[in-house]
Amino acid sequence: MTKKEKAFLRATVAFTILFATAPVANAMHIMEGYLPVAFCVTWGIICLPFLAAGLISLKKRVKENRKTITLIAMSGAFIFVISSLKIPSVTGSCSHMTGTGLGAILLGPAAVSVLGIIVLLFQAILLAHGGLTTLGANTFSMAIAGPLVSFGLYKLCEKCKLNRKVSVFLAAFLGDLFTYCVTSIQLALAYPSESGGIAASAVKFLGVFAPTQLPLAVIEGILTVVIVIALESYARPELKAVGFLKEV
Amino acid sequence: MHTIDHYCYHSGLRGVNAGLKFAYAAATMLICLISRSLAAAALVLLANGILTVKKGRIPFPFYRKLMLVPLAFLILGTAAMILNLSKTPLDSYAVSIGSWYLTGSRNGIRQAVRLIGSSLASVSCLYVLSLNTPMPEILLVLEKLHCPELLTELMLLIYRYIFILADTASAIRTSQNCRLGYQDYRTSLRSFGELCAVLFVRALKRSNDLYTAMEARGYDGKIRILHEKRPVKRKELAAVIVFELILTGVALWIR
Repeated sequence: MTKKEKAFLRATVAFTILFATAPVANAMHIMEGYLPVAFCVTWGIICLPFLAAGLISLKKRVKENRKTITLIAMSGAFIFVISSLKIPSVTGSCSHMTGTGLGAILLGPAAVSVLGIIVLLFQAILLAHGGLTTLGANTFSMAIAGPLVSFGLYKLCEKCKLNRKVSVFLAAFLGDLFTYCVTSIQLALAYPSESGGIAASAVKFLGVFAPTQLPLAVIEGILTVVIVIALESYARPELKAVGFLKEV
Repeated sequence: MHTIDHYCYHSGLRGVNAGLKFAYAAATMLICLISRSLAAAALVLLANGILTVKKGRIPFPFYRKLMLVPLAFLILGTAAMILNLSKTPLDSYAVSIGSWYLTGSRNGIRQAVRLIGSSLASVSCLYVLSLNTPMPEILLVLEKLHCPELLTELMLLIYRYIFILADTASAIRTSQNCRLGYQDYRTSLRSFGELCAVLFVRALKRSNDLYTAMEARGYDGKIRILHEKRPVKRKELAAVIVFELILTGVALWIR
């Protein structure tokens, strides 16, 4: 190894250690002001049909039974609170769940898209995570794309008669991973690489965020399984009320 | 979370019309984002710092801590932007790894620096709004902007419930700690899962009780709130317009 290579190796090791332990609180929220205006608007518009569909389905549910309004609101507050709690993490850094995987499994993707944008707005204003201009992009990755994958996978696993624990883990884990991939692609589209364009840039963003996001996705998967097991063991009536368990 | 909510009720700028603050934050952010000018960003950071710390009386250490919240994202995102892996070295720097170069261009670095400046400036705009305006007033602005009624109603309810649930969660965590929860990594995971499950059960039970209480008080599908009237003062409006004009000028003159 030449001197330069040694120095480079040392630098990369230092870099990895620094960021594996640095506080990475919700590092996947695109921060305020990071995206160009055109991208903020475009992502916002892309979210609109999903939000409209979610709102219409919620409106129908509220009309059928007015009591669901407090139920839905409480679920939204629940997603916000678990996403604001510090989760146990290996490196001692403070990280948070997204909670949207759990929400999608319990409440369905339509409700989560609406609750998601509210939760993200509150996170921006009350916790300073994410931002107003990047709300559209963040909503698309965290409240639409991720939950849709989680919900789809969960239903698919259910059809294949997979063990419920395995299917919950896969749904939450892959939903989280998908959110992180979508965010990286969103960043890459806005800032293509000088040598290699959008694809190279996407690989760079994926690589840079991987050390923080991969362990987080695994932890999110495990925690979601633990939560679902705990819920099944002493909250069967409540799970039936939100439609997660079928009435027997 | 409690702290931002706490400070905005005590802010010195609370009496200013929420719509005006919203318009100020939005216009300033837009100028920063479109121009990506460092001079404009510096001016905005200075002005918002004075507004929040001097006028709003938000403690400086707390403000500084909040400004550092997006730091992890900023460092990682910028690293991804200025590091390139290429066969040909670019003009700013190049470190060779085998036959490849870890390299970056001057233009790319300049762009990254501008991005950091203008992003931080827009974060400070967000804080002018969130640290000086209580949530119900922000919701009122959203209502005036013709946000769907179901959405604003849900937001209002969720905002109320967040604090109830957060208190419940912290009480549960305290009692778990008393009973040897969170001892090692395995028990932490289990304790956290149980916390969330219990929280979910409590939340649903609470939502039933709340509905009953609301119905007992004549809830008919709409929550009406009496809002305090805070008209826009002419002087404040003029100040905002002058500031935006100066900012546009600075952004156009000093690129």
